[in-house]
Amino acid sequence: MKIGFLGLGIMGRPMALNLLKGGHELTVWARRPESMQPLLDAGATGAASPADAARGAELLISMVADAPDVAEVMRAALPGAAPGLVAVDMSTIAPAAARRIGGELAAAGVDFVDAPVSGGEVGAIAGTLSIMAGGSAAAFAKAQPAFACMGKNIVHVGDAGAGQVAKAANQIVTGMGVLAVAEAYAFAAKNGVDAGKVREALLGGFAYSKILENHGQRMLDRNFKPGFKSWMHEKDLNIVMQTAHELGLCLPGSAATAQMFNAMVGSGLGEEDSIAVLKLLEKLSGQSA
Amino acid sequence: MKVGFIGLGVMGRPMALHLHAAGHELHVWARRPQSAEGLPATVCATPAELGRACAVVFTVITSSADVEAVALGPDGLIEGMAPGSVLVDCSTIAPDVARRIAGRLAEKGIDMLDAPVSGGAQGAIAATLAIMAGGDAAVLERVRPLLDCLGQRIVHVGPNGAGQVAKACNQMIMVAAIQAAAEAMRLAAASGVDCGKVRQALAGGSAASRVLDVMGERMVRRDFAAGIEARLHHKDYGLVLQAARESGVPLPLTAVVGQQLNALMAQGWGQDDTASLLRVLELT
Repeated sequence: MKIGFLGLGIMGRPMALNLLKGGHELTVWARRPESMQPLLDAGATGAASPADAARGAELLISMVADAPDVAEVMRAALPGAAPGLVAVDMSTIAPAAARRIGGELAAAGVDFVDAPVSGGEVGAIAGTLSIMAGGSAAAFAKAQPAFACMGKNIVHVGDAGAGQVAKAANQIVTGMGVLAVAEAYAFAAKNGVDAGKVREALLGGFAYSKILENHGQRMLDRNFKPGFKSWMHEKDLNIVMQTAHELGLCLPGSAATAQMFNAMVGSGLGEEDSIAVLKLLEKLSGQSA
Repeated sequence: MKVGFIGLGVMGRPMALHLHAAGHELHVWARRPQSAEGLPATVCATPAELGRACAVVFTVITSSADVEAVALGPDGLIEGMAPGSVLVDCSTIAPDVARRIAGRLAEKGIDMLDAPVSGGAQGAIAATLAIMAGGDAAVLERVRPLLDCLGQRIVHVGPNGAGQVAKACNQMIMVAAIQAAAEAMRLAAASGVDCGKVRQALAGGSAASRVLDVMGERMVRRDFAAGIEARLHHKDYGLVLQAARESGVPLPLTAVVGQQLNALMAQGWGQDDTASLLRVLELT
């Protein structure tokens, strides 16, 4: 299939590479031309603009930072859009923003799927991302072969925006999960108990989670390299809290967690992995690492 | 002096009347013309027309977007106000929006103060509002005689936006205090103790506060008719938490109180008094 791909950052680049590996014909565009090089080396065609990347494509995928970027690149792509084009945004943005952008594209005759992902850089490279999609069944079906190259657990959640709702829910669970593991470790340490042994004991019971297993190990190793940068998690939790505010939805746990991530960004931990919330807890309780 | 007034709601209407009573010639514009009915004022067709007629214009409007539209939008104040005239915005809006509006007006030589108020409808009627002003000190001195008609405590906090920052701090403390009062009332009631007596006992000690006095009494009487509509506090909490995020400053208590306000909105109590935070606690 002919696919245009916009945005070749930490996530976008390996995702695009997996589309090439899957045998798709790929045209790529990135704001910084040097980001395109690895893809051109692997056989993709370079585009001069988003419109150029959309020209002749059946599918147009964007993977950028935030809602204004999505709106901007999709708008810029429209002049190149052929009838029947399906636009797929895989960035994490607010559900309301996704619905708005979807509406704008629909008015121009382009079908839209919001399909944010979970699984991080590791999942993007391995092609094992979780993909949660919102949009019409027809548009989802058209994007499915591309999704299959990038991810494993691919779920059509509902109409436009539903993918982003699922992603926001994912960020609630992972945000609180990381904080929960960090608090458990801080609790163990302040009680003079070895956190590694506690983790080992917990892995066999109902407190088992992927986060306890993976993030928990990295906390023990004090390996704070991202992974998933805490400023991005903060951004995602802000989407959650904004949406809760608009809907009249009481989310006390998410609210407390969002403030911890807010504090991380404010105290210079924004570029570290979200597990650095452990450092913040240690600082607050006067614990040395 | 010819004074313009936009935003003739619960707060704006009595404020406009005070300016008229002090001998100023009132010009008004209202999105819904019926809001201006019965006011001793010249009704203008657009904010621009009002701006052309007046040396000082007051605005008391609910949202950042509405203030921006009235000031800078098509037929907005910016199209009519003369260089050297002053916009006094008494709305509660985001500090960065206040700064942006001031910046755009300054390009045309129009001065602006962000001058949000505290004291509620009662304070507006009694002309006892606290006014927290951001902007040039000299501009504040020019309009001070007008502000004196509206309030008793007028503080120059700092440059443009500083008034809104002070107001955000005011809202944080006030609503957190309402939540604290509600929790105290709830605990007292659940322990089989008379809420009114507890409030009375506390009023003499270290926990005494204006909120416990006014809102606490409403809670005891279970009178949830708005003084201040809770939806406005809910809106303000959105602004505060957004500002906290932009500064990377954690506000853990504010964040939790914000969720109680979200629950209040979900119950459909947005137009009732914020004392309804007590009713949120009673849901569980």
